[in-house]
Amino acid sequence: MSAYRDHAAGTPAVAAGPPAVAAAGPPDEYVEAEIQRLLAEDPAVAEQGITVVRRERGLVLYGEVESPHRREEILRRVAERFPDVPVTSDIGVIRAQAPTEVEQLP
Amino acid sequence: MIRIAAVGDVHVDQDVVGRFRPALNELPDCADVLLLAGDLTRHGTEAEARCVAEEFGGLGVPVVTVLGNHDHQHDRVPQVVEVLQEAGIRVLEGEGIVLEVAGGRLGVAGVKGFGGGFAGRCASDFGEPEMKSFVRTTNESAEALGVALRGLDCDLLVALTHYSPVPDTLAGEPLEIYPFLGSYQLGQAIDSAPTALALHGHAHAGSERGTTPGGVRVRNVAHPVIKQAYSIFHLGDHLDAGEVSRISHSGIQQPWS
Repeated sequence: MSAYRDHAAGTPAVAAGPPAVAAAGPPDEYVEAEIQRLLAEDPAVAEQGITVVRRERGLVLYGEVESPHRREEILRRVAERFPDVPVTSDIGVIRAQAPTEVEQLP
Repeated sequence: MIRIAAVGDVHVDQDVVGRFRPALNELPDCADVLLLAGDLTRHGTEAEARCVAEEFGGLGVPVVTVLGNHDHQHDRVPQVVEVLQEAGIRVLEGEGIVLEVAGGRLGVAGVKGFGGGFAGRCASDFGEPEMKSFVRTTNESAEALGVALRGLDCDLLVALTHYSPVPDTLAGEPLEIYPFLGSYQLGQAIDSAPTALALHGHAHAGSERGTTPGGVRVRNVAHPVIKQAYSIFHLGDHLDAGEVSRISHSGIQQPWS
């Protein structure tokens, strides 16, 4: 059972309503907070630069990482911990080409 | 003129080795030095530090760095520093270095720095021991930066930190987390010396340009911000004109080699 389910089951309002709807509904602030911390504190992720945005139909993860592997790992870990939360990813891999211009400073 | 290449927050591990290298191999043609603004690794392990050494070592230009908060995660800072220094990467923490480059003597003083926030909205040295310890860490770091900057005898002076000295370059980050991204005390230290440029990282969603209250240009060179292997800054045109150095030694000698 995921942490999200644990939380939903412990909320009286959810317990009174249909649990299936609550479990499939939009994630709440606590889930957002937990995911934000998971991204930093999970050794497999260790990302502080990913923004978690709650939308009507689920969470969107924004930001940039250093490799495609890290992007996949973020989605894998979040899905593993919160299997019922719909997550959309818009995480990019940062370009690492040489600059084409310099900045002249006085 | 002195040419400075800079980047921060490269978070190198095995999966990143080789990504920067093609661009880094061009450095001897376009820069006199590479400055790294901390968060070289993901967790601060020796294995990751070896990846950094492989990627950023032996470049043909001097490489000078500060550490970032990620580089502290495993509490292996001395070991990480040792691996980096063995690869010829000079790690600064509360000290400075003067590099003789083609355009003149470049002084770089560096600290990791710390959070605390900015004028009028910052943490105070007051209350619980944890809070006082937090703010004192910030104060001590900024003081060390100021002493290191004022102690350098050079033609052009650059401050290198991981945390930001100004809020300007945090634009794009949530306001609520500014106190975790930098502190005004770092700016005050930078303004206490004839600093020409201040470079920092840490704020991945921040923006590139800002200035200290004293008018020193600040650049956030975090990799996610600059979106290229490094940025290049040209400074010190006055050095080419044969002007006499305007930065004099203030009497405080810092250990550099």
